[in-house]
Amino acid sequence: MRRAALAAVLLLSLAVAAPASAVTARTSLVAIEQQVMCVTCGIPLQEADSPAAQQEKAYIQQLIDAGDTAATIKARLVVEYGDAVLALPPDRGFNVAFYLIPIAAVLAAIGIVALLLPRWRRNRRAGAGAAGQPDALSAADNARLDADLARFEP
Amino acid sequence: MRRKLVPAIVVAVAAAAVAVLVYGLTQQGASRALDEALAAGRHPAAPQAQRLLPVLDRVGSTTASLTRWRGKVVVLNFWASWCSTCTAEAALIERAQRQLAASGDGTVLGIDYKDLSGGAQQFIGTYELSYPNLRDIDGSFAEAYGTDALPETFVLNRNLQVVAISRGEITTQSWLTHWIDEAART
Repeated sequence: MRRAALAAVLLLSLAVAAPASAVTARTSLVAIEQQVMCVTCGIPLQEADSPAAQQEKAYIQQLIDAGDTAATIKARLVVEYGDAVLALPPDRGFNVAFYLIPIAAVLAAIGIVALLLPRWRRNRRAGAGAAGQPDALSAADNARLDADLARFEP
Repeated sequence: MRRKLVPAIVVAVAAAAVAVLVYGLTQQGASRALDEALAAGRHPAAPQAQRLLPVLDRVGSTTASLTRWRGKVVVLNFWASWCSTCTAEAALIERAQRQLAASGDGTVLGIDYKDLSGGAQQFIGTYELSYPNLRDIDGSFAEAYGTDALPETFVLNRNLQVVAISRGEITTQSWLTHWIDEAART
């Protein structure tokens, strides 16, 4: 009896979960437009209005209406137009450079700062120290200063 | 020595970035190398003649290159189903194909540029095009011909050399007839 109740609860939860996941997987034209390019104009599809862009939008809408997910739609667009249709290129082959170069640039910048910062701080400290100490006088200048001061003393 | 190394690296990287930018800017725009060669009285070889492109058919699993038609006059026509002026010249191009097929001199070869395969098939059906078509999915084949606007047509002789170029819609049958005859003679 308890087993039957448990099975019923499981079945019910599956029945509720299935349509929920179907709803979350559904996408919109606006969402896809932000992720793909107009292949003839070289600008994001959402900003394009050329005949080719209109055809591309109609195709996406047709796929959405057929119930395709965002990933499937993008894959089908790549089959039709090639990788250039994606706003972000796929992370394989030479395209990996697109993702690695910014990371490498940031790491290089951090490295340069880490290398130069101690030197700048050292130089600054040395500069501040030198400014805080009066120049040392020679023995002759000291003697002359003493003599001058002695003249003004009552 | 070390003090000069870091500024030198920074200057080198900046110079490289500027060089890449200048290269990118100078590479903008379509090449007119073929037009210039024709104007100079030469017949340049058709670019990327060996390159395999997908055949536009319902299956879409086969490929072909221009070399398949070596020994024949080829009217290479770049088009797309989203191109309104391509629809205007479609009848003229098909008429040229029927003449070429009847004489056995050659063929029209359509290059479907950055187009949906479904839309292209529909276009072929609507205008009853009887000539073979290849797909230029990413436009890189067209780029080799300096094509960045449609339609454009190149007449090739039997050695796959460019004899004539029409950058824009063909409006008269006489242009096609004249250059097909010329290509058949060279």
